[in-house]
Amino acid sequence: MARYDLNAILKEMDKNKVKDENAEIALDDVSRVKVLSPGRQVLKRFMRNRLAVFGFCLLATMFILAFLGPLVYPYGQKQVFYKYDTQTINYAMAKENASYTAFAADPSVSVEKTVSTVVNSTIRGMLSSGAEKAMLTGEEKVYFLEKVTDEIFSLEEADAQRVALFGTGVEPIGTYSQISKSITFAGKTVPGLEDYFKANVQGLSGTFEFGGATYSYGKGSQPKTISITLPFDGVLYTGDDMDEGFEAALTAAAGSADEFSYNGKNYYLQKGGNAYTVYAVGTSKPAQVYSRLSADSYETGGKVSEELICAALMAGEQGGSVTAEGRTWNVSIDGEALIITDDAGKEYAELSPFTVRRYSGEDSMAYDLKKAVAGAIEDMVAAGKKETVLVHDIPRQDENGKYVYDEAGNLEHEEGELHITQREVGSYVIIVDQTIFLIDRYADPSRAHFLGTDGDGFDVFSRIMYGGRISLMVGFVVVFLEILLGVIMGGLAGYYGGWVDMVIMRLVDVFYCLPSLPIMIILGAMMDAVRMDTYMRLIIMMAALGIMGWAGVARMVRGQILSLREQEFMVATEATGIKVRNRIFRHLVPNVMPQLIVIATMGMGSVILTESTLSFLGLGVKHPLATWGSMINSVSSASAMAHRAYIWIPVGVLICLTVIAFNFVGDGLRDAYDPKAKR
Amino acid sequence: MLKYTLKRLLYSVIILFFVMFIIYILMYNMPSGYIETKARELASRPGATKSYSQWLDDLNAQYGMDKGVVQGYLIWLKSAVRGDWGDSWAWTIPVTQEFHNTVWYSFILGLIAFVFEILIAIPLGIAAAKKQYSLLDYATTVFAMVCISMPTFFLATLLKYVFSVKLGWFDLSGMQGRDYINLSDFGKFLDVAKHFVLPSVTLIIISIGGLMRYTRTNMLEVLNADYIRTARAKGVPEKKVINYHAFRNTMIPLVTTLGGSLPGLFSGALITETQFAIRGIGYASYTSMTQADIPFIMFYLAFISILTLLGNLISDLLYGVVDPRVRLS
Repeated sequence: MARYDLNAILKEMDKNKVKDENAEIALDDVSRVKVLSPGRQVLKRFMRNRLAVFGFCLLATMFILAFLGPLVYPYGQKQVFYKYDTQTINYAMAKENASYTAFAADPSVSVEKTVSTVVNSTIRGMLSSGAEKAMLTGEEKVYFLEKVTDEIFSLEEADAQRVALFGTGVEPIGTYSQISKSITFAGKTVPGLEDYFKANVQGLSGTFEFGGATYSYGKGSQPKTISITLPFDGVLYTGDDMDEGFEAALTAAAGSADEFSYNGKNYYLQKGGNAYTVYAVGTSKPAQVYSRLSADSYETGGKVSEELICAALMAGEQGGSVTAEGRTWNVSIDGEALIITDDAGKEYAELSPFTVRRYSGEDSMAYDLKKAVAGAIEDMVAAGKKETVLVHDIPRQDENGKYVYDEAGNLEHEEGELHITQREVGSYVIIVDQTIFLIDRYADPSRAHFLGTDGDGFDVFSRIMYGGRISLMVGFVVVFLEILLGVIMGGLAGYYGGWVDMVIMRLVDVFYCLPSLPIMIILGAMMDAVRMDTYMRLIIMMAALGIMGWAGVARMVRGQILSLREQEFMVATEATGIKVRNRIFRHLVPNVMPQLIVIATMGMGSVILTESTLSFLGLGVKHPLATWGSMINSVSSASAMAHRAYIWIPVGVLICLTVIAFNFVGDGLRDAYDPKAKR
Repeated sequence: MLKYTLKRLLYSVIILFFVMFIIYILMYNMPSGYIETKARELASRPGATKSYSQWLDDLNAQYGMDKGVVQGYLIWLKSAVRGDWGDSWAWTIPVTQEFHNTVWYSFILGLIAFVFEILIAIPLGIAAAKKQYSLLDYATTVFAMVCISMPTFFLATLLKYVFSVKLGWFDLSGMQGRDYINLSDFGKFLDVAKHFVLPSVTLIIISIGGLMRYTRTNMLEVLNADYIRTARAKGVPEKKVINYHAFRNTMIPLVTTLGGSLPGLFSGALITETQFAIRGIGYASYTSMTQADIPFIMFYLAFISILTLLGNLISDLLYGVVDPRVRLS
């Protein structure tokens, strides 16, 4: 179709007119009329409306902020920020070892539990009585505890047999049960005793003679039992009888010594009451070493093997060289402590009665730090104080309490103040203000973060930009859906009329009546219950909003089409035989375009409002996606609201401005399209 | 007139039937296990009056949740029409009782906002229209637009921040002060009234913009009408033109709209009440919605739908009453 440009023709005429410049312009001269195309006319009217232009500029800014801003802004919406901060922690504890700890000298020898539990109390008894050796009887085996020094005791498993009793006492023989009519012997079986007892003994207590000895019997500890005992004065053999020489040696040793030898055999006397129990002692195997000293390796976190510790301890007071782990070590004495050096003369470890450990019990502190702490405590105790401060390098830790290493793999250190406090006598706790690495929550606005950070350590300004993106996108998608549905339904209803119109308009009535906010809230709660994926939620929310919002558009489109379809151009389309579909969507709907554009612009504003309300209630778009509503929601509790105003006020103002801008532009467009239309 | 009214009423009932059907489908399709979980939670609450199965049985009996959609809907409709709405899950009292407990707070709040809205918006709208394109006109337009565009939750938070946190004039939320019990009757009234100030202000600001714009538009239209030009031409004083000729004609659309919004006074302000913890029906329904309280939600949605339809009906009928030119048919 040839274009007929009136403006061009007018210009042409102007050129021709130059010749007779002085000629008077007639009132009906065509050059007096300046004709604008409909589009330009709308634009001109729109530009004249100051509020609309303001709104348009605002919208342009908002779009640049939301869609282009994130491209140049250095932070992402899910980027978490960290910071270094100091935190007071219980760093370490130090204590004077009060109890004796076991080190296995020979891991193949196991020590009975009944014995190991009484070792510490036995040692205390030995220290107070000054005894050098003590015997501990377990359920199956017998052990000797021998003193090496005051700090070191060795426990040996002995091959010992009970051979005799000496002195005055009572030896339990057995228990006679009146029900089973038999004797259960405590030690060795006395042949014939059972038959004799059954045949001759009557009553519940008394004495009887058997085999040249006088037994006594009485009520047993269990009901219906009688216990049989053998009182003795002198020597009573529990095993085989010995000769008189043994008896003489025993009598000589009793009272003066614990041990004696006879016939090349060693015997040990254990005193209990007025009697001694005599054991025949064979060879003994070292089982464990008990000591108040604990090992500290010079190497940080290094572990000293128990074998070496035992060897060093057994070297005892004299020190000297020992062999362990297939190497030779040298042990020297330094006050209370033992220092182990390896064969090259390098100091390897130290055994001292003072332990410094991390508060968790882990032995991971550097030796010099341990030494410094021990020294500080010593000075503190000497000065009679209960608190002291030590400044020392300590390893830096990250937010998980892990050590931080530099690129070369060495521990990073920093200077820290160690506050040492006495907790109880001999026990100290070391508190440190240590630098740790943690999430930068609720940071105040600063140069790095324009609007600070939120409760998750996200940058608020970047969240605002990404949130704007989602809010605007939701607006577009929902409005597009509404318009699509509304135009189709409204177009059909308006064009066909009759029962189609009737049905569609009743449907419109129904959707008009549906309370959309409550339904969206219910949908949100339901999606919460099934823990729906946040992107899926977004899609469902947009679909639901679109489905519930099309009724208004359909009503408007129908109304317009009802009046348009009676006009001549529609008669013309019918006459030229254009398809019905094309008649509706190519000839009727474009005529409704101005109203559609206005309704869409205004609709964007209201959709953004609804979306932000839902997100604010926590039922719309969810973490980690940002939207403006959910950002306000995250600081909506009373205290957060009062203290984090720099987060929610900018966001709220942005929502407000965006909606205002859409409304202004919509208003301006409506006025521009049809200045006489009723607002 | 009577015939028209009856016809409209019949339409409304049919629309309501389908609206409730859609809502029922929504409830019916709640994710499986959701209702059961909620019922179990409810039964294990301290002081629970009904057991888990009892709650579910009640629900099935009244709402037909165990039947097909259509059959279940009819069952629900039958009990609803008879006024049997069941026990609320969130409030553990009959739904209708909870409704009675809450609706009047909402009504009072709505009424206060409604009265102030009319008193502020209509004079401002008329003043703006009288001097179109003046500074006052621009100011009113911008103010109205800000009010319309303000998200309720943001406005409420802002008011709380300024008046409760910064100035400390009002409590943050709730309906009663701390020593409410010790106050005299009049003191109690004042205390509650004080707690209603911020919610009312929120509602007024939110609703004022729309009415202001509507008044201005209508007034402008009337002022451009021929009969106003005639009145001015024959020398009627400007005051009389505005107050007598123009205002009366502006009132026609205003009365119909306002009349139509009268039922809405009962519907409650969901966001405002939730934000300020006013125990109105909006607050109750929000709590119910987040707790899958099907009986109360169904009731509330039905109630809202009825109010909407009633509003439309009233507004249409009023149009015929106020404007004698309109013939209803």
